[in-house]
Amino acid sequence: MNGQIRSRLGLAIAVGTYLFAAWWVFTRSTPIVAQRPVTLRVAHWQIERGPPEGLAAVIRRYEELNPRVKVEQVLVPGGGPIYRQWLRSNLIGGTGPDLVEYGYWLDGMTDIPARYFAPITDEMMLPNPYNRGTPLESVAWLDTFTDGLIIQQATAPVPGQFYAATLTEVSTRLFCNQDLLKQITGSTKTPRTLIELRAISARVRAYAARTGRPVYTLAGSRDNANWLLQFLMQGTMMPRSQRNDRYGTLALNSWDELGHYLEGRWTYDSPEARAGLELMREISLNMKPGFLQSMRDAATQEFLRGDSLFIFAGTWDGTSLRELATFPVEVIRFPQPTPDDPVVGKFYIGPYADGGGGTCMELYLNKQTTHRAEAVDFLRFMSSMEGSQLFTDHSGWLPAVRGVKVPDRIKAYETPKDCFTFGMPYTVIGSTVMSNLDLNMHLLSGPTGSVDKFVAAMEAGMPKAVRADLQKEISNRYLAVRPQDVQIMALNELSRRLPGNADLPVSRERLESSQTQTEALVLQMQLQLQTAVK
Amino acid sequence: MLLSAAAAGALAAKAPAKDDVGEVWQLVADHLGRDAYIKLDGLEGPATRERKFAEAVVAVDYQPVTQARLESAAAVFAELATGDDEIAAASAYLEARLYQIHLQALDYEKAAVLYRALAERHPRSHWAQLGLVKLGLLTLYVLPEPATPAARISAAQALLPRLAEKELVRDLELQLGRAGAFYEQPLETILPHLVAADRIGGLIGQAREDLIVMIGELSLRSGHYAQARTYFERYEREYTYNMRLVTVRRRLEDLAALEAKAREAKP
Repeated sequence: MNGQIRSRLGLAIAVGTYLFAAWWVFTRSTPIVAQRPVTLRVAHWQIERGPPEGLAAVIRRYEELNPRVKVEQVLVPGGGPIYRQWLRSNLIGGTGPDLVEYGYWLDGMTDIPARYFAPITDEMMLPNPYNRGTPLESVAWLDTFTDGLIIQQATAPVPGQFYAATLTEVSTRLFCNQDLLKQITGSTKTPRTLIELRAISARVRAYAARTGRPVYTLAGSRDNANWLLQFLMQGTMMPRSQRNDRYGTLALNSWDELGHYLEGRWTYDSPEARAGLELMREISLNMKPGFLQSMRDAATQEFLRGDSLFIFAGTWDGTSLRELATFPVEVIRFPQPTPDDPVVGKFYIGPYADGGGGTCMELYLNKQTTHRAEAVDFLRFMSSMEGSQLFTDHSGWLPAVRGVKVPDRIKAYETPKDCFTFGMPYTVIGSTVMSNLDLNMHLLSGPTGSVDKFVAAMEAGMPKAVRADLQKEISNRYLAVRPQDVQIMALNELSRRLPGNADLPVSRERLESSQTQTEALVLQMQLQLQTAVK
Repeated sequence: MLLSAAAAGALAAKAPAKDDVGEVWQLVADHLGRDAYIKLDGLEGPATRERKFAEAVVAVDYQPVTQARLESAAAVFAELATGDDEIAAASAYLEARLYQIHLQALDYEKAAVLYRALAERHPRSHWAQLGLVKLGLLTLYVLPEPATPAARISAAQALLPRLAEKELVRDLELQLGRAGAFYEQPLETILPHLVAADRIGGLIGQAREDLIVMIGELSLRSGHYAQARTYFERYEREYTYNMRLVTVRRRLEDLAALEAKAREAKP
């Protein structure tokens, strides 16, 4: 009898436990099946302080508005090798995220947009529905961006097609350790001109010698030096760019500069280039010796430790620098040269652009996504006034959208329309040229470096590097235009089936037009390669 | 689009009740070429002209693209091109395209021959018209004859009267102007093409923005100050956000000085 009771009791406990577990699983715990039918993955490398929080705020609000869709951020470290390898292997394997951050300067990745990203041109020409009830309600999505997506347009695989929406505007700034400035100079007055920067640098050197404390004017690393070189070269090369502007577009693209090199229209030995390099060398001597072996993280740490007075960095580092510093940080524009500058004054046209107002953190649409409509919809919300405001407020990064209120704490990142740019600097014009530059930068900096040594080494490798990069430009454009023939035919057939749909013929016509423009560009580049004098 | 009513009617009549091929075109338009290929592979029943055409079109961008697949597609296009409907014109166009940009060994001269033949056979077809624009590009840059830049531009310009679609006229005018600038021809020969392209309108994005600046700047350089002012001021009004605006404003200052000088020089 006892045994029977015990076995019944055991069975009852087992059944009870099972029922409780079942109740718990289906009512309390995380559901076994995702509640939202669509999951979007957004991959980016902005793992600094700020952007993940900003994007998380955007996603929270988007998910409130769209209960069908779940959005996941995929944070992959660095715009360097890890991100590149991760991205390429996922795209090749067909497991790429729906939306992908990409930058034209990513080494060895210039074929990615043409192979894997789909244009969103038609959507860009229409108002963003998430801007309803705002001043941008009837403005085409494209025109809601503060820069009209100019960088993205200049680097798109096919001119005339749009591939990405951006999240933020960036600029380069000088971040100053105010405590250290006062300690060294007795004042918190920051430099406005190169001449003033030179004076402060002299005082920093004197302070370091006097106190024995290894303090430098500028935090140094390969990345920070490259950004500085871009800024200076873009400035000093402006007269040369003007002379080479055969189309009269008042702006040169990277492929223009590559082609011009082969035509013998500029070299690193040109007087304007040498002036920029001379200035770069002079400034780099105020960085810690051996800085070229460090990456940007090392420069950030150097600045945060109080071992350097300034750091020249992008505003993308701004939130990290200001939140992690134990001292007050002032953000100023890099001191500009003046027409009487002894090194670069001869080539001075006007203030050099320190940001150009371009927007970035570009999110591209993966061609293979099975959730195209939802992915584009998320891009629209992300870059609506509401989405952009959320991103700005939670990231401490500038907005990419017009009319979004910029918090006072980051107003210094904005670039007023007061400086000149003539398009691409003469450094970031191709991955092989950039590698050549990286390889030889040590010859420009340091006590044994010189402009002569750098120029000689660069020029020895430039013709081959430029040819390789121009050839890549051609190959990438072929990758972009070939599938367009297929697209054009499909749009035509759909248009024939749906005669009432006015968008289809317009899409086809735009694609045909941009394809023709791209093919003309390819043929010009081929001619430049064939007739090169370098 | 110049789709002849007869051809459209013929195609519509042949379309299956369930528009499977229409679904294929939608997949292709959505960049889902692999799915389109699978869909086509699973279709039953006799292969219509449109289905054969769709199979060849999908094969052109089926990854990995192989030369054998492209050559098979070329053969299908050549066969379909012998017909007398829109598929024939589209196939003839695509056959030329294979030789112009798809095959590993490009054959520009053969592409040019095919474009010319298409324009003779279906002069009003959209594909023939588009083919003439592509022929214009080949003439401007790669065909062996004519050899000099001025002659190339002149030969490509001769194609203009054969174009009836205004967007295609615009695209060829733009390319004539850009080729003139590339070859550094006299500005007086370049500007009319650029202005014509602008007057037709419809360009978007950077192409439109560049065109406005280009006409402004080249007009300034060639002494057409009024035209330069018109275009620079238009840029200033329409592109308030671009940093290029700073340079455009500087050019407007330069222009004002030049205009004043020109006024002073007048007796």
